[in-house]
Amino acid sequence: MHLKYESFIREPLVDGDKTYHQVSEDIISPIERKPGRMWYVGFVFSLILLGYGLFSVTWAVYWGLGTWGVNRTIGWGWDITNFVWWIGIGHAGTLISAILLLFRQGWRTGVNRAAEAMTIFAVMCAGQFPIFHMGRVWDGFWVLPLPNTRGTLWPNFDSPLLWDVFAISTYFTVSLLFWYSGLVPDFALIRDRATTKFRKMAYGLASFGWTGTAKSWQRAEALWLVLAGLSTPLVLSVHTIVSFDFATSVIPGWHTTIFPPYFVAGAVFSGFAMVNTLLVLTRKILHLEEYITTGHLEAMNKIILLTGSIVGVAYITELFIAWYSQSWGEQAAFKWRIMGPYWWSYWAMMTCNVVSPQLFWVKKLRRNVPFTFVMSIVVNIGMWFERFVIIVTSTYRDWIPGSWSYYSPTWPEVGFYLGTFGLFFTCYFLFAKYFPVVAVHEIKFVLKTSGDNYKRSMEKLETQSEDEFIHIATTHHDDDHVLEGAGAHH
Amino acid sequence: MSQKQYWSGPEELNRINSQIEVAGDEFKEELPFDLSDGIFNATTPRRDFLKFLGFSTLAATLVASCEMPVRRAIPYAIKPEDIVPGVPNYYASTFVDGGDYCPIVIKTRDGRPIKIEGNEMSSITMGGTSARVQASVLNLYDKARIRHPYADGNEATFDAIDKMIKEGISGKAGYLVTASLLSPTTKEIITQFLAKYTNMKHIVYDAYSYSGMLLANEASYGKRTLPSYHFDKASTIVSIGADFLGTWIAPIEYAKAYAQGRKISAKNMKLSKHYQVEAMHTITGAAADHRATCKPSEMGSVAVALYNAVTTGAAPSLPSANLNELVKKAAADLKKGNGLVVGSSNDVNIQTVINAINDAIGANGVTVNWTVTSNYKQGVDKDMADMIAAMEAGSVGSVLLHGVNPVYDYLDGKKFAAALAKVPVTVSFADRLDETAQKCKYIVPDHNFLESWGDAEPKPGYYSLMQPGISPLFKTRAIQDSLLIWAGATQSYADFWKDYWMKKLGGQEAFDKALQDGIVEPAGEMANGGAKFAGNISDAIGKVKKGGSAVELVVYQKIAIGTGGAWSNNPWLLEMPDPITRATWDNYVCVSPKRAKDLDAELNGFSEVDSKKRVITIKGSNGYTVNLPVVVVPGMHNDVVAVAVGFGRDAKVGRAAASDATKGGKNAFPFMNFNGLTMEHHSDVTLTKTEEKYDVALTQTHNSYEARPVVHEYTLEEFQKDPNVLLKERGAEIAEFTHDPWIEEGKEAKEPMLDTNSDEAFREHGTMYTNYKYEGVKWGMSIDLNTCTGCGACVIGCMAENNISVVGKEHVLKMHEMHWLRIDRYFSGMPNDPDTIQTVFQPMLCQHCDNAPCENVCPVSATNHSSEGLNQMAYNRCIGTKYCANNCPYKVRHFNWMDWNGADCFDDNLYEDGRRDDVNDDLTRMVLNPDVTVRSRGVMEKCSFCVQRLQDAKLSAKKEGHPLKDGAVRTACQQACPSDAIMFGNVKDKDSKIAKLRKDEQLERTFYVLEHIHTLPSINYLAKIRNTEEINALDENKNEMLKYHI
Repeated sequence: MHLKYESFIREPLVDGDKTYHQVSEDIISPIERKPGRMWYVGFVFSLILLGYGLFSVTWAVYWGLGTWGVNRTIGWGWDITNFVWWIGIGHAGTLISAILLLFRQGWRTGVNRAAEAMTIFAVMCAGQFPIFHMGRVWDGFWVLPLPNTRGTLWPNFDSPLLWDVFAISTYFTVSLLFWYSGLVPDFALIRDRATTKFRKMAYGLASFGWTGTAKSWQRAEALWLVLAGLSTPLVLSVHTIVSFDFATSVIPGWHTTIFPPYFVAGAVFSGFAMVNTLLVLTRKILHLEEYITTGHLEAMNKIILLTGSIVGVAYITELFIAWYSQSWGEQAAFKWRIMGPYWWSYWAMMTCNVVSPQLFWVKKLRRNVPFTFVMSIVVNIGMWFERFVIIVTSTYRDWIPGSWSYYSPTWPEVGFYLGTFGLFFTCYFLFAKYFPVVAVHEIKFVLKTSGDNYKRSMEKLETQSEDEFIHIATTHHDDDHVLEGAGAHH
Repeated sequence: MSQKQYWSGPEELNRINSQIEVAGDEFKEELPFDLSDGIFNATTPRRDFLKFLGFSTLAATLVASCEMPVRRAIPYAIKPEDIVPGVPNYYASTFVDGGDYCPIVIKTRDGRPIKIEGNEMSSITMGGTSARVQASVLNLYDKARIRHPYADGNEATFDAIDKMIKEGISGKAGYLVTASLLSPTTKEIITQFLAKYTNMKHIVYDAYSYSGMLLANEASYGKRTLPSYHFDKASTIVSIGADFLGTWIAPIEYAKAYAQGRKISAKNMKLSKHYQVEAMHTITGAAADHRATCKPSEMGSVAVALYNAVTTGAAPSLPSANLNELVKKAAADLKKGNGLVVGSSNDVNIQTVINAINDAIGANGVTVNWTVTSNYKQGVDKDMADMIAAMEAGSVGSVLLHGVNPVYDYLDGKKFAAALAKVPVTVSFADRLDETAQKCKYIVPDHNFLESWGDAEPKPGYYSLMQPGISPLFKTRAIQDSLLIWAGATQSYADFWKDYWMKKLGGQEAFDKALQDGIVEPAGEMANGGAKFAGNISDAIGKVKKGGSAVELVVYQKIAIGTGGAWSNNPWLLEMPDPITRATWDNYVCVSPKRAKDLDAELNGFSEVDSKKRVITIKGSNGYTVNLPVVVVPGMHNDVVAVAVGFGRDAKVGRAAASDATKGGKNAFPFMNFNGLTMEHHSDVTLTKTEEKYDVALTQTHNSYEARPVVHEYTLEEFQKDPNVLLKERGAEIAEFTHDPWIEEGKEAKEPMLDTNSDEAFREHGTMYTNYKYEGVKWGMSIDLNTCTGCGACVIGCMAENNISVVGKEHVLKMHEMHWLRIDRYFSGMPNDPDTIQTVFQPMLCQHCDNAPCENVCPVSATNHSSEGLNQMAYNRCIGTKYCANNCPYKVRHFNWMDWNGADCFDDNLYEDGRRDDVNDDLTRMVLNPDVTVRSRGVMEKCSFCVQRLQDAKLSAKKEGHPLKDGAVRTACQQACPSDAIMFGNVKDKDSKIAKLRKDEQLERTFYVLEHIHTLPSINYLAKIRNTEEINALDENKNEMLKYHI
């Protein structure tokens, strides 16, 4: 099964002298304690934002979308920009939990729980926008293929917006199941440690009677693998389908075959950045630096560098194709993006997404926590602008110059966006308080191979000659023997 | 007994199987749901019951929670004779507003006028209308209308007022002031009235007067009248400042005739040549082939130069080379015959010179008709000045004002008001408490013209009758009745009018016919004759003033609201974008791009999208000062600015008109000058920049069409040289779909040119979907860019027909306007050189694409395609994702951003801005067309090709038992157009006009906008052919607009 010995040159995934008990203690005890001051401040602030968002949305639903700045030429503005942005952010969680699981990347253990939670919350935030951007939101359920009394009236299966409905709801469901099924053993752990009756009951219910038998583990492992297999294509399909909202249109700047891979790369890019933002905060606030190590952050930064470069190549490809196609519509669209009244948004996007991630080529910067934090925010600003550039600066100067216009958001639009931050952080703070933010069972799974103290105990093996090492490895089949030295510390 | 069988007919008796089957089939048509065995034999129908129940309960709850407010409907207790619910009645009548004239047909539904169409039986307007005529129906339901007579500011009865006025107006000298009067019966009644009150005098006052022409004509031809102009007979037209397609004298008549000379096809390569000299940029200038600008004070010199060039051939020496060139060329063309020169100046001398030119080129009797003259304008400014002097002297005992508002529109309204205060008896017949009515002792409100009997004589011998479309809504009384009563007559005006016409027409039958037709005209073509010029030309030339060096301001009329009046409070017209500036709701100062730079109001790619425009202070030579925002208009003379009248109204004129520092604009009338005889519509001004900015609600920000295949324009020469020039361009545009991208060996490279095959190939190969084969009717429209003048009649016609919401200035600023039909206006040329500016108008509406990008993106199929080629909107199905609008290349879809009209199901969320709100008043809502849904908030809407008219026509044809005839149905825009630029019909009908036009007559000029996207529009345009030397739009050296992004 699992590799028992890991090379010394691999960085430990868990720092410090940790035992199984210590791991449980470190991760679960914040749930059992009263939260700190910081938590209350953050939570209340999130609730205020959420309240303001609710007010903004109610305002727009009651008075009409004319309270927003979108217009006859630019039908989508901050609403759909935010939708694509949030849904993009949501990609990191699934990528980490599913694809990295399939690739057996041990380092994911420290970050996957928080990343998956972020996915769920981000998709919840994203979903608000397509719902409330509808002029008659109360009739929004008509997009569902429900049997009805209107003869044979179905939604239009040709419409990418309908594909969105299916793609996002599927994605949300699978992500939620995957996340929750991973939480079950940890809930059981909290239940077993519980000292109050209520906690025992609540976590008991949440853990579905997990007993921790070998059979339970076997079934759970199988389920995770299946769900990982299901999620993997979803990571690629969701943003592909979101990109179809634009790619299938006839508007220059939208009508682009490059969009699916470009959107997926961008989504992973922004999602990893968001995970970094959250992890840097979480590890600091909940003192989990030993589980979410700089090594984890560096690994994340490497992916940011990779996907950022893919995104950069995509931008340049778009420009190249605009020239190479000799299509005047395409050329004009990019001319107005770069030089028109919205030039600043294009250049903000270019700076944040293409130029700044290249700094991660420097190892020192990759491992610098404050720098990682700042970059994670810069990348998400850049990715927000990317969506804004695609959506607004394509439509604002499209085919007929007589209809060109300009757009600035109004307070209900900004309020709606802030409100989704409120929703996101409200959920995240609740998650941080009541759920184990790091997957305890997965950390324990890698602890004895990749834990700092266990690796240190392997030092003596490193000094052994090759023959000696092979001798020990072949004669002692019992794990404990091999790792005897590690146990000796305690 | 029980065995006895009854049979219903021989088919049952004889048991004819097919008949029995039919009889047994309760639903003859296919049911819209699946009743096959499959559904009954489904494995779990019983289990689904709860699911269905749950869903339908939920749906019902949702729907029920969205309760519609209760609306009252009052049934007829006694059904009126002519009113059949749902069936419109049409009455021929006449639109008259001062001297503005248009014979019309009033469409009434359930007893209320809802739409105005032009009367096609008139040989003068031939069915044409203007934006104002189209919008006039809204004035009927204007909430600001006075509902009863007033005496000293209080409600009074007619009887009481009559008594007081009868006493008041006898004795001291008095005046009856009216605008130009076209009505022969009214004139007769005034004669009777004046006969009774010999102390009274009748004077005519026109706010925007043509005194200069009237006096010049009197001096030149001995007639104080205007001639009839035959623009259709003119092959060379020279206009010195006259905006004859927009605002000058009788634009509907002129546009109709002018369009005759602008129709061109490859089979008939003839085009009139139109020279325009103007100071500002008008739609007439935009239509011109050769345009030059000069200051208003230089118009005289231009006229003199043209006179000299025509008579002596003297070379002109005018301020600009282009003016010289224009005069030279125009003179040469005029001498070829069939010329026509018109001028807008109100200076008698300049008009005398123009008369002399027309005489010299032999226009009299050809294009200028002195046999059948025009009565449109009769006011002479000096009369008004004399009256004010008399009023100031205190020698006037009474003033009766009808259709005039001098406190607002006289150049010195305050002076008039002060003089009026000295008059003991002042009577206004105004329909609202306008600036003058407020200062009058008595207000005896006149009917709206849609409530009135009456008549008009636009030209001697040419009559048009006026009959009411509705009983008077308020306690108003026709002015004719008032005058008759005061004159002591016992007969009512209606009887007087009937007697007059019975006598004139000679019997009931002729009277009935005249009333039905609305028109009484001599048979045959209009008589035409000249007159001998007898003016003193050398004296006139000597007196023509030379231009100064100051910046000059032109006081102009907006095509929408004219000189103000009730129009200033008409939300349709206020929201109608000005054809040139595309601005709505307020006035502003039009400034050339070059001067704008000096005023720090330069237009570039970034400031063009900013609605906040620089405010400048304008100080007239008489000291009148206003602050107005700058709107940059390429094509304005660099030393000229222009401000429209009709704004800066008093709050009591109406909510939409009311002005203050933040809204409603400023009055421009005080910028006029009185030269002792006539009013001059321009003034020297000084301009100073301020630091203020003001929002101007423009509906178009970008002025260039960027050399895109949106518009196609050619010079006449290019088109004559190669009539296939457009077909070749179109062929190249879609070549990738129709031609192999490689050249086969041995074959010569063929220039791609559109022909029937490639057209078909494009239709087939441009899409992966199967091509729908249209059977039966397939609707199509054609719009001629040559004859479209941009006047906006179609825009308002569409609003009236289709219940289009007015959104108000705040939302126009947000680009939320709802016009289904807009007229895009593009400039090309050098912004710093106004003479190089070429302008084109393009009506843009839903193109009803056969491969519509909007249709496939709608998640709920709310927008879909009909079997007749209509792109239709199911409002009830729309959930408002706006995806369709995003994906529409033409951007003609309009979203209901707010609850504009109360059709929403939420309570109390009606959008209100203080200015447009009266459109939702119960009174104003009477104008709504019951055949068209009023759209609720949150749904998308767009042009429907007037589907309600199409249905109506099809049903009529069906009832009458014949196939739909070509021309049996017209869209509202088509019907409103005064220049017949729009054609509509069934393209599948080979004999229809539109099919012939596309396939044959205008094949060479036909194009589709953005054809290469493969949207397959149902609207084609006809390329603009300019009778000029070059087209600037496509040439980067001649069109700096492409470089500077303005």
